[in-house]
Amino acid sequence: MGTLLRIELFKIGTKPRSYIGFAAITVIVLLIELALWLDGRSYLQFILQALEQSFQVQGNLLNGNLVSFIILQTLIVQMPLLVALIAGDLVSGEAASGTIRLLLTQPYSRAKILWAKYFAVSIYVFLLIFWLGLLALGGGFLLFGSGDLVVLKSDELIILKAADTLWRFMAAFGIAFLSLSVVATFALMLSCYTDNSIGPIIASMAVIILFTIIGTLEVPLFDRIKPFLFTTHMIVWRSMFDQPLDWGAILRSLWVLVLHIALFLGVSFFHFTKKDIQN
Amino acid sequence: MKSFIVFALIALCAPGVFAQSAPKALIHAIQKKFAQVKDYSATVRMEFDIPSVRLTPVEGDVYFKQPDKFRVKTEGIIFLPKQNPYFTLQSIRDTNAYVAIFAGEETVQATKTQVVNVIPHDNAGELILAKLWIDPGRKLILKSQLTTKTNGTLTVEQGYGRFQESALPDWIRFTIDVARFKVPKSVAVDLSASKNTPNLPAKGTGTIHLIFTNYKLNQNLSDAVFAQGK
Repeated sequence: MGTLLRIELFKIGTKPRSYIGFAAITVIVLLIELALWLDGRSYLQFILQALEQSFQVQGNLLNGNLVSFIILQTLIVQMPLLVALIAGDLVSGEAASGTIRLLLTQPYSRAKILWAKYFAVSIYVFLLIFWLGLLALGGGFLLFGSGDLVVLKSDELIILKAADTLWRFMAAFGIAFLSLSVVATFALMLSCYTDNSIGPIIASMAVIILFTIIGTLEVPLFDRIKPFLFTTHMIVWRSMFDQPLDWGAILRSLWVLVLHIALFLGVSFFHFTKKDIQN
Repeated sequence: MKSFIVFALIALCAPGVFAQSAPKALIHAIQKKFAQVKDYSATVRMEFDIPSVRLTPVEGDVYFKQPDKFRVKTEGIIFLPKQNPYFTLQSIRDTNAYVAIFAGEETVQATKTQVVNVIPHDNAGELILAKLWIDPGRKLILKSQLTTKTNGTLTVEQGYGRFQESALPDWIRFTIDVARFKVPKSVAVDLSASKNTPNLPAKGTGTIHLIFTNYKLNQNLSDAVFAQGK
């Protein structure tokens, strides 16, 4: 299994597209940090103008914690697309390039091969999240220092003590990993069904965009659908910054995400182990 | 006849003069008491109940120096009233700068108080009207309602204990008019926001409760303590 995993990681590592995600994250994070460094005070003044009519707000509001939170909010919505780019190609890419027959002649079961692909893409997702965390938190603290976190909501502000934020960020990154794993297994599942690499990538992206739009639009018809969409539960990382924490809702969403991973993996294994390889 | 006219005039003017001088004398006595405190430092615990803002209590240090220097030092983010706790006393320091009218008696904190309305002569100042609930026995302001030019109405209630002789409160509770906090979802990048959130009123009131302990009086605090920044 170790050899298979190393081979799959090597394959991911040698594809230039694997680095698009890291490059995109680096550029976006640095851009947001630069923008906030130059003009963050005006952004905060705009947000706090209603409250500043009545109060003087004292303390370092624009700090590494807030910057990291803003980065997370902005980027986690886009990251599924970067994951689909890699996971959607895992099986179908081999079929398209004709290497799948060669792969299946190896003395490993099809299930083991698929497990190796799944673990490899999970490691990729983990590294992507780790890179995001490193740039967001590391860069944020380096440029803006530490301080209490102002959690921005459209109708509420939650202020969390600086000492109470790091574990929340770690938990949020953990949930983001689980959320992106749903996307990875979904793209992997689609990848098992086709013999060209573009199809599953585009289909995964289309589904994520569609689900996100349904989740964002405030139409009564969609309100009934929203709880059944995995994208609705993918933003549960944000609940880690609530005060008090709604553990019931968080655990329910985590459970839904785990169920989706199990479902998509199950379908992937069922199809891949029985798949008739013709090319 | 002459003496009757003089007597009638005195009789007519006396209530007005009394209405002016008695409340002013009371205010003056409070000012005198507070003037004994040249400066102080204390530990403060701040509790917040502000609509749309969730903020846990914060502890810090507070510094004051006559006539109007006030600073709260904390580690984190806090919300404070725009006026410092002694804004009322500072605004009515000059007894010739306002009219004081006795407006009845009310019970505040189980104490019978005299209600005094204060109207400044200067229309350009921040204070438009102050209503003070004064404990005449202890010569302390227990409650004040301030109508200000830029920050609406502010109610300040004060409870006294060990340091009542210096007119320093054990606690102060500010009640402030607050506009509803609302920013576009796109600005807050709040994808989880639901339209099902209750329709909150456009305006509400927020309270800030300051609890003081460890008063240290007249230590000759340096002005540097009040400079902004750590």
